[in-house]
Amino acid sequence: MSARILRGIPVSTGIAIGQAYFLNRCHFAGITRQTVDEADVPVELNRLTEAFESACQDLERILGLVPADLHEHAAIIELHLMILRDPKFRKRSQDHVCSTRINAEWGLERAVGDVEEIFAAMSDEYLRQRGQDIRVVAERVLTKLVGRQAGLRAITQRAILLANDLTPADTIELEINKIMAFATAQGGKTSHAGILARSLQIPAVVGVEGLGDDLSDGQVIILDGFHGRIILDPNEDELARYTDLQTQLEAYQATIMRSCQLPAETIDGYRFEVLANIELFEEVVAVNDNGGEGVGLYRSEYSYLTRTQMPTEEELTETYLDMAALVAPKKLVIRTLDVGADKLMRSQTTREANPALGLRAVRYCLKHRDVFRTQLRAILKASVLGNVSIMFPMVSGLQELVEIKKFYRTVQAELHAEGVCFREDMPMGIMVELPSAVITADLLAQEVDFFSIGTNDLIQYSLGIDRTNKDVSYLYQPLHPAILRSIKWVIDAGHKAGIEVCLCGELAADPFCIPILMGMQVDAISLGPHAIPGIKRIIRQASMAECTALLKQVMASQSVARNNKLVRELIFRRFPEELLFYSSLLDEDIN
Amino acid sequence: MGEEQELRIRVRNNLGLHARPAGKIANEAQRFASSVVLTTEEAEADAKSILDVLTLAAPLGTEVCIRAQGPDADQAVQALAQLFINKFGEDK
Repeated sequence: MSARILRGIPVSTGIAIGQAYFLNRCHFAGITRQTVDEADVPVELNRLTEAFESACQDLERILGLVPADLHEHAAIIELHLMILRDPKFRKRSQDHVCSTRINAEWGLERAVGDVEEIFAAMSDEYLRQRGQDIRVVAERVLTKLVGRQAGLRAITQRAILLANDLTPADTIELEINKIMAFATAQGGKTSHAGILARSLQIPAVVGVEGLGDDLSDGQVIILDGFHGRIILDPNEDELARYTDLQTQLEAYQATIMRSCQLPAETIDGYRFEVLANIELFEEVVAVNDNGGEGVGLYRSEYSYLTRTQMPTEEELTETYLDMAALVAPKKLVIRTLDVGADKLMRSQTTREANPALGLRAVRYCLKHRDVFRTQLRAILKASVLGNVSIMFPMVSGLQELVEIKKFYRTVQAELHAEGVCFREDMPMGIMVELPSAVITADLLAQEVDFFSIGTNDLIQYSLGIDRTNKDVSYLYQPLHPAILRSIKWVIDAGHKAGIEVCLCGELAADPFCIPILMGMQVDAISLGPHAIPGIKRIIRQASMAECTALLKQVMASQSVARNNKLVRELIFRRFPEELLFYSSLLDEDIN
Repeated sequence: MGEEQELRIRVRNNLGLHARPAGKIANEAQRFASSVVLTTEEAEADAKSILDVLTLAAPLGTEVCIRAQGPDADQAVQALAQLFINKFGEDK
């Protein structure tokens, strides 16, 4: 019998072989999912009933204490009581316990999940909100359940952690040294869990479909952080193969780490700047450890997304000053707020039919000038320290850029008038990620100090596909002639105007794509810190002559398939280790 | 199995079947031995379950069919219909 393989998104490379441990937490902090013996099912059912009853009694008692003039209050408690007494809700919890033989807590949690899903699908805003009541009520029952329990089972040995989702708070509670790897059901390529895993340097896979109920604690699994696979009940063959891969990987990593602090210079003397994409302070250590020569993309959204209120100018200034000081003397490129589309702000409540084409990034900022001003002032104030640059995302054309610059000058003038110090000649650049910006790159280049090509968005907007949509993701083709021509045109336009061009999408971290980018003579690349050593190694072993030759071939080619074949041949011939240890954006096509 | 009774009625209160009306329906339905089901064009709900009734998400004007089966089916249908007619005590 072949092993069952679960697939997800690889977010941190590496291989782990070990026992699975389900961090039994969906939404409530600290609930454990435990499989129980057939004989214990009635015990769990009984616990559930008692907890429901006890929670009902509490609410009834509380209801009796509500003063007569607080009708509203009483109404809410009555509503909660009705939910607690709802026969269907109880039955759902019980059914889950019986059918999957799980503990009462998890049965309850799953019932809550079911009901929440129903509510979340409602079109009426008011009713959708009522979904929250279910959770509030369930918390009461849960408290009763947990109160009766001896204590949550702790992880007793090193394990592969499986969870619905992991937040930074979760990981603080966990004993990191006991975790070999983790996988989550939620999350995407850019989720916090991935950043966390990479900074802990443990393999991780997120967005795993089917991660859940049929896995039991203690079961041996293989987690492949290169290809985003989880192999359940691996056979001897697979165990042998992956153990072997692990050994090779360790040797390979030792090799690339030894040379990662050396400059990214080809054997024929052509030098590239290798920068890092980061979001958090914690990642700066990884930038330095992995040979990053600066920060080419500091995503500034974190300060906005982690709270319900807009950050103040003081908070932002402090954050940016700290970051500038931490990264100094290396370069720090701060990208202004790129919110919207996939990172919807909580305080931004209007729903858009088409967020990717809607009010995001600089468009949002130009519409909400107060938000924009606050951030610009903070960045300008921070420019006095270290080596800071400012970069605007999603610029669609010259007119918009002129508008941004005009406002930027106004804010500078305001600071001047207030007598606040800032660096007047702080480099100012834009992300080139919309097809319209690509086509007008020659015009835009006249107005800025540098370009940074954001390939993730550029590919999606140029090819008109949403990569997370499974039906069209096969069209995500980084080596599509349109993409290659776009990138080359932008680099050339930048150079013609005498400005530097950086590339900061996932393409920069892809071993299969890097030789082409080198051939195009991109000045700098910016990528996740942990991908730097491997990419630097390729650059250091490659020659500009072979990259130029490859570029010539792919630019002349008319098909994506042929391009993929060409780059694969080069990597296979020159860098065979990379084939083993990297997942490539081109994988889908190659396999 | 006992008798089966059915009655069609429209939601008359402005806010539709939100939490409080749903609670009243469930409370009332639980008083009867018969099973009581509410049906709209889109969904069906066990009248004794507030969560079920809420999931009907029925706004003002929705036609709801109250169907009861059991020994006191007639009384159950009448009692629930009365709630709808009284607009659940709202919109006075």
